[in-house]
Amino acid sequence: MTTQFRMRQAWAIARIEMRRAFFSRRALWVYLLALFPAVIFIGHGIAMTYRHNRWAGQGMTTAAALDSINPRDTAEEVLKKAGKPISDRDWRRRKLMNEEETEKGGRIRRYEMVEGRMMMYYDGRRRVNLFFENGVLTEKNIRDEMNFDQDRQAYAGVFQYFYLRLAIFFGCLGIFMNLFRGEMLDKTLHYWFLAPARRDVLLAGKYLAGLTASTVIFTGGAALSFAGMLWPHESTAVAAYWSGPGMGHLFWYLASAALACVGYGSVFLAAGLLLRNPIIPAAILLLWEGINGFLPDLLQKLSVLYYVQSLCPVPAPTDPSMPPLLLTLLSPASPAAKEWAVLGVLAVTLLVLWAAAGAVRRIEINYSTE
Amino acid sequence: MSAPQTNGNRGAANRPLVICEEVSKFYGEVLGVNRVTLAIPPGITSLVGPNGSGKTTLMNLLTGLIHPDRGSIRVRDISPREPERMMRLTGYATQFDAAPRWATGFQFVATSLELFGLPRAEAESKAWKALERVSLTDAAHRKVAGYSKGMRQRVRLAQAIAHEPDVLVLDEPLNGLDPLVRAETIAMFREWGAQGRHVILSSHVLQEVDVISDQVILIANGMIVAEGEIRGVRDEISEHPSQYIIRCRDASRIASLLFNEDHITEIKLNDDRLGMLVMTRSREDFSRALGRIALDGHVIDGVIPADENVDALYEYLIGGGR
Repeated sequence: MTTQFRMRQAWAIARIEMRRAFFSRRALWVYLLALFPAVIFIGHGIAMTYRHNRWAGQGMTTAAALDSINPRDTAEEVLKKAGKPISDRDWRRRKLMNEEETEKGGRIRRYEMVEGRMMMYYDGRRRVNLFFENGVLTEKNIRDEMNFDQDRQAYAGVFQYFYLRLAIFFGCLGIFMNLFRGEMLDKTLHYWFLAPARRDVLLAGKYLAGLTASTVIFTGGAALSFAGMLWPHESTAVAAYWSGPGMGHLFWYLASAALACVGYGSVFLAAGLLLRNPIIPAAILLLWEGINGFLPDLLQKLSVLYYVQSLCPVPAPTDPSMPPLLLTLLSPASPAAKEWAVLGVLAVTLLVLWAAAGAVRRIEINYSTE
Repeated sequence: MSAPQTNGNRGAANRPLVICEEVSKFYGEVLGVNRVTLAIPPGITSLVGPNGSGKTTLMNLLTGLIHPDRGSIRVRDISPREPERMMRLTGYATQFDAAPRWATGFQFVATSLELFGLPRAEAESKAWKALERVSLTDAAHRKVAGYSKGMRQRVRLAQAIAHEPDVLVLDEPLNGLDPLVRAETIAMFREWGAQGRHVILSSHVLQEVDVISDQVILIANGMIVAEGEIRGVRDEISEHPSQYIIRCRDASRIASLLFNEDHITEIKLNDDRLGMLVMTRSREDFSRALGRIALDGHVIDGVIPADENVDALYEYLIGGGR
């Protein structure tokens, strides 16, 4: 048999197995994981666009006019500077002015009636809420409604903390464990073993099927959520981003998603051959990836997450107010150079697949023990 | 059956053989098969034994689904550890009743043929022919998951024969088949056996095995109890007497004459005194003794072998294992 024939055979196996990988009932939740960020970003975009259209229709104020509003300005001065607000509400309420203790141990609280007012302005990107008391500005609350930089940071965070660490991890667990373990549970694995194919060719075919399915699903999900993050923003800002680093960012996000599938896929394929219960390898690997930041340099390199995070184009935002332990767990170790990261994932994958090929040659059909 | 040889393709008559040498398989501490040594020539060979005797284990070993802990197996000079070569000449219809949920009967057979490297058109043509052979063309485009037990049996058989293998291994292949399909299937086995292919099957239906097999292998508790042609097997088991029913008019007299023979171990007279059941350790001596008795003028109406079927052998050879 020639290598070319074996490659054709592996592709034939992959084509047959893709049906299982893409459409298996067990893989349904993989789609939910892959599409969850896209749903979040698209939902956020829809809400943002809806608010923009509603507020813009009521009249926008220039950014300069809003910036010129100062604390202690009166309501009349604000109206003069910024014009009619998109929302203007007033109210009266009792306000506690002071509290005194009497000689007999009681308390006297003094209240005053306050005329409250809230005006809301919108400049196309920011929503500004102005709070007045008795006609004087006491609080200026600015909230970014369309902040491209902030949304890109949010995408980087969702991609690294949720997509790579959880969605692709558990998605690959579902797809790749199913390739051998699922067939053992369905009692159909023997059909493959009765085909005139070497066991390692079978392994290659199945891995190819899982890789194709997971890569399509998760790079598709990443691209969709990236598009969901971009579309509500002004076309000029988006065009500038595309002509700048945008294309490179998208490429590296997709590449890291694909490489995560390559790495996690091989690990879970091997685990499906060696272990019956997927929860055990999942828990061990999740723990290993989680404590990666604490490990010595050499051990850090035996992690899929270490390499794929090194490929991410935008560092994930971290909140310094987080507990130090959580901060360390979420912070990526000093990243590898991109080319080393790619080679690292491929090296880890080849090592795991080599071990899996040995396991598949030894495996026996004994459904009664499953 | 000939003794095992190291080169399966150069047996006594240059016939390709399926050879097991000292093959043992254990599932933990449970015995699968123990020190099985066989050389199976082409033709129809039946594995016979009670449930749990090791028939399926032996078939799984022959086809590489499991590996022996000890000993070696060669199927027409190829090791089952080389599925790429071996499964080109081997087809195996297992007893596992599951089939891929997504597949219709036609897809199930055709996709397995694609792994042989056949172009799609040729794979489909061969799949259709195989389905025709098992009379399943009407249901070919229905999902296998919706098939009845008998139909699933047939589609597995179709998959096993679709590439026209030289070695066909079939685990209880006649289970669940209706009489017409059963007859057609048996005819196909005979045809394949006559073509010099190996057809190795297991069955619990002993009468069927008796009728269709060229050879039988009796297995009990993971060990081969006997092997060979049914008559030959019977001859090999000299410690177990053959049984004959004799119909005659003077049963008491003939019984006393027979008792003078060394090879006769037991005689049971019928209540009607018109017949008896005789047990002998030697067919030939028994035959000669009967001739002498007849020449002496005693009338013998008929002699019928009472145990020359697999049921009787089974009782004798496996006995308590059943």
